[in-house]
Amino acid sequence: MRIAVTGTPGTGKTTATDLLESRLDIVHLNEILESEELYTEVDAERESKVADLNGLSDWLDGRDDAMIESHLAHRFEVDRVVVLRCEPESLEDRLLERGESRAKARENAESEALDVILAEAVEEHGLESVYEVDTTDLEPETVADELEAVVAGDREPGAGEVEFVGYLQ
Amino acid sequence: MSQDDDKWGIAHVHASFNNTVMTVTDLTGAETIAKSSGGTAVKQNRDEASPYAAMQMAESVAEEVKAAGITGLHVHVRGPGGNLQKSPGPGAQATIRALARSGIEIGRIEDVTPIPHDGSRAPKGKGGY
Ligand SMILES: Nc1ncnc2c1ncn2[C@@H]1O[C@H](COP(=O)(O)OP(=O)(O)O)[C@@H](O)[C@H]1O
Ligand SMILES: [Mg+2]
Repeated sequence: MRIAVTGTPGTGKTTATDLLESRLDIVHLNEILESEELYTEVDAERESKVADLNGLSDWLDGRDDAMIESHLAHRFEVDRVVVLRCEPESLEDRLLERGESRAKARENAESEALDVILAEAVEEHGLESVYEVDTTDLEPETVADELEAVVAGDREPGAGEVEFVGYLQ
Repeated sequence: MSQDDDKWGIAHVHASFNNTVMTVTDLTGAETIAKSSGGTAVKQNRDEASPYAAMQMAESVAEEVKAAGITGLHVHVRGPGGNLQKSPGPGAQATIRALARSGIEIGRIEDVTPIPHDGSRAPKGKGGY
């Protein structure tokens, strides 16, 4: 089984998946993008590499028992998609604490407020395959437990249960 | 009305997965002229209510905007635009139509949807699925 763990940068994907003791291989997609140079150009304004989605998809080919961790993970063929969420003010704080620039923290918080990644995940995979987890008040260990529950089939799909758009007003 | 009497503002339309909200500011973005209450348009039946709720929201904001003497609005749309829909989604489109119907002149419409990014980001537009 292939599981995508996606969500706006700062929602805690890397932290939570590092705590897993799953039988699935964890693929930190940003590491692959760097080591295999699977990007097409650099967005200088955002200090961000533009992912080569086809190249990454080819690299993932055959890796079928995997948990793919990235804010792009929902763009690949997967069986289930976990979308981690975080209230935008808290997300901004988490990103600033991680050492990101104000502009980066702000644009990601706006993306989270607008449900950009959730909407993409649902559009691509359908409501029945999307599992939304609001991490705002959860410890990383609890987020990891939620991921295990999705893998085990112990969790119902769900999307659109949080409402963050007020952050933008 | 002469050209000088026209007063323009910016409608910032935010269309999320199941809500559409709007703030109207002056052209600098500094002064807020009107604001929809986030709750007005929320939590409706997903399939059909989103554009309708957005339209109601826009109609009430339009009245406030006109009362403030604004005659035209540029529109900045942010957001994926609602579940299972294309960007800008039905919420954003219904909002713009409702503003125009209320007699407000619509100027430039810009999509300023933010891009999630860390060390990487997706290419613009679709692809790679
Ligand atoms: N559940 C959580 N609660 C509070 N802070 C968290 C949580 N998970 C991660 N963090 C912190 O937030 C920041 C972003 O986490 P990270 O795992 O790097 O997110 P992502 O991989 O989704 O970008 C890190 O500084 C991390 O220590
Ligand atoms: Mg990460």
